Amino acid sequence: MANIVVLGAGVAGHTAAAYLQKGLNKKDHKITVISPTPTYQWIPSNIWVGVGRMTPEEIKFDLRPLYKKWGIEFIQAKAQSFFPEGDDQIKTGFVEVEYTNEEHKGVKRKVAYDYLINATGPKLNFEATEGLLPGNGNIASVCTFGHASHAWELFQEKLDKMKKGEKQTFVIGTGHPTATCQGAAFEYILNVDFEIKKRGLEKQAEVIWITNEYELGDFGMGGAFIAKGGFISNTKLFAESYFVERNITWIKRAGVKKLDDHKIYYENLDGEYLEQAYDFAMLIPGFSGHGFKAFDKTGADISEKLFAPSGLMKVDADYTPKPFEQWSIKDWPETYQNPSYPNIFAPGIAFAPPHSISKPMTSKNGTPIFASAPRTGMPSGVMGKVTADNIIHWVKTADPTIKHKASMGKMGAACIVSAGYGMRKGTAATMTVSPVVPDWEKFPEWGRDIKTTMGEPGLAGHWLKWLMHYMFLYKAKGLPFWWMIPE
Amino acid sequence: MENRLIITKYSDQYYPPTPNNFTLFLRRSIIVQLFRFMVLNYKIIKIVVKGHS
Ligand SMILES: Cc1cc2nc3c(=O)[nH]c(=O)nc-3n(C[C@H](O)[C@H](O)[C@H](O)COP(=O)(O)OP(=O)(O)OC[C@H]3O[C@@H](n4cnc5c(N)ncnc54)[C@H](O)[C@@H]3O)c2cc1C
Repeated sequence: MANIVVLGAGVAGHTAAAYLQKGLNKKDHKITVISPTPTYQWIPSNIWVGVGRMTPEEIKFDLRPLYKKWGIEFIQAKAQSFFPEGDDQIKTGFVEVEYTNEEHKGVKRKVAYDYLINATGPKLNFEATEGLLPGNGNIASVCTFGHASHAWELFQEKLDKMKKGEKQTFVIGTGHPTATCQGAAFEYILNVDFEIKKRGLEKQAEVIWITNEYELGDFGMGGAFIAKGGFISNTKLFAESYFVERNITWIKRAGVKKLDDHKIYYENLDGEYLEQAYDFAMLIPGFSGHGFKAFDKTGADISEKLFAPSGLMKVDADYTPKPFEQWSIKDWPETYQNPSYPNIFAPGIAFAPPHSISKPMTSKNGTPIFASAPRTGMPSGVMGKVTADNIIHWVKTADPTIKHKASMGKMGAACIVSAGYGMRKGTAATMTVSPVVPDWEKFPEWGRDIKTTMGEPGLAGHWLKWLMHYMFLYKAKGLPFWWMIPE
Repeated sequence: MENRLIITKYSDQYYPPTPNNFTLFLRRSIIVQLFRFMVLNYKIIKIVVKGHS
């Protein structure tokens, strides 16, 4: 009997659990999912919760009945420490978890495993930027449905003020010098702007984008080239054009260091320390690992063996430090297997990338200011699936050869950037990149396949985003033929 | 009306391309967008299919 434990029930963890239960006989094998909350949320739709177009109930559901149906044990707890070699009592690896449900809150438990999937995603590191915590004064976030719901409350307050004739400044973007997930902030600023204009309040509003990107449209993936209108142009042009069309201004190359109730303090690549006044801010925090510890069977700390300095898990990436010019897609992992303990995998945001995709930049004062590598939903889902496929193969054949691979240097990603909600008046930019990490050897001219890398604004993008919301929730709910819907 | 180009002269906001009315029409036209919807779906499926081995 194989005992498989999945940490995290987000895009990567839930996808892995779904395919594991589909591919393995539950009478012979045990699957356990451990997550601090029993809900699954479709994070991309948080953008619409943050502007009041959807309620949190529309984007989340309770996982427990589904896991019961699937024969998966669910433990509402958060993982804290990893013991990949076991200890004197437990001979297999185990994780120490702490319950987060009302009944057992604070109680610790050891959960043994034969195979472990660490899909705990990012820690939203608000603490790394002084004053950034959502709920503080005029600061919002859309990273979770709870945050997004608060963002909508705060946004409504500001809309009311504008209706009374007060001017309001909205600053949206990145809240840490090396934050990633620019795409989510980009969507939010466009939706906020759309809602302001829909109410005819644009004269009262100033909307500003603040970003750590070197140029707009970098999105943490070094930008991309797309063929459009007889030219091949960079996504810089695409993003800037989007903003100019809407009269949104921008501050780039900015590392946000601190916020108080009315001002954002940042340093730019020129080494200047500047301030920006605001009435409403939604800034994406830095991401890090969860601060997990790891111990060997003697109790010695082996955290460095499992985790990179960022706290994210080490996998089959090439972590040798090298200059930007020597980066290659070969540095990127394809199995998400920990090199020291091959029965541990880390798909999704939980794995430590070998380096960023965008070129690291440092200000004149030595502050790194650049976008970290993003790992969007589609690659995270694909990584979850290949991890499940590899474990299923290992369990069924007792052959640890890894058959299924998914490198961000080979796979593409699609991201629909919503810019306003509505079946007739809505709009979104459909963006695809292939591969996610540019492969300058295979595509020496543009770094990516120019035929499948694109950016197209229009109403159709909104329909796609809307369709994906329902399609991916259908899949996550395990409704009939869910597995036919790709990641 | 305030002229954006006069206000933003010599700043970053002065230079990017802006869509003309025809481009905006294409982005909003239901017929055109129905067709684009099918094309975009096809392109996304192509990426999904070659996603992993
Ligand atoms: C606002 C927003 C909009 C986005 N929009 C898009 C989009 O349009 N398209 C797109 O492709 N991507 C989008 N993304 C990115 C996408 O959401 C992520 O790529 C994806 O969620 C990553 O999946 P994951 O499973 O690695 O992490 P998550 O989905 O964050 O899941 C992590 C899971 O681990 C659990 N967990 C945390 N700590 C512990 C612990 N100690 N023990 C056990 N479990 C734990 C969490 O509760 C959660 O269930 C967006 C992100 C944001 C924030």
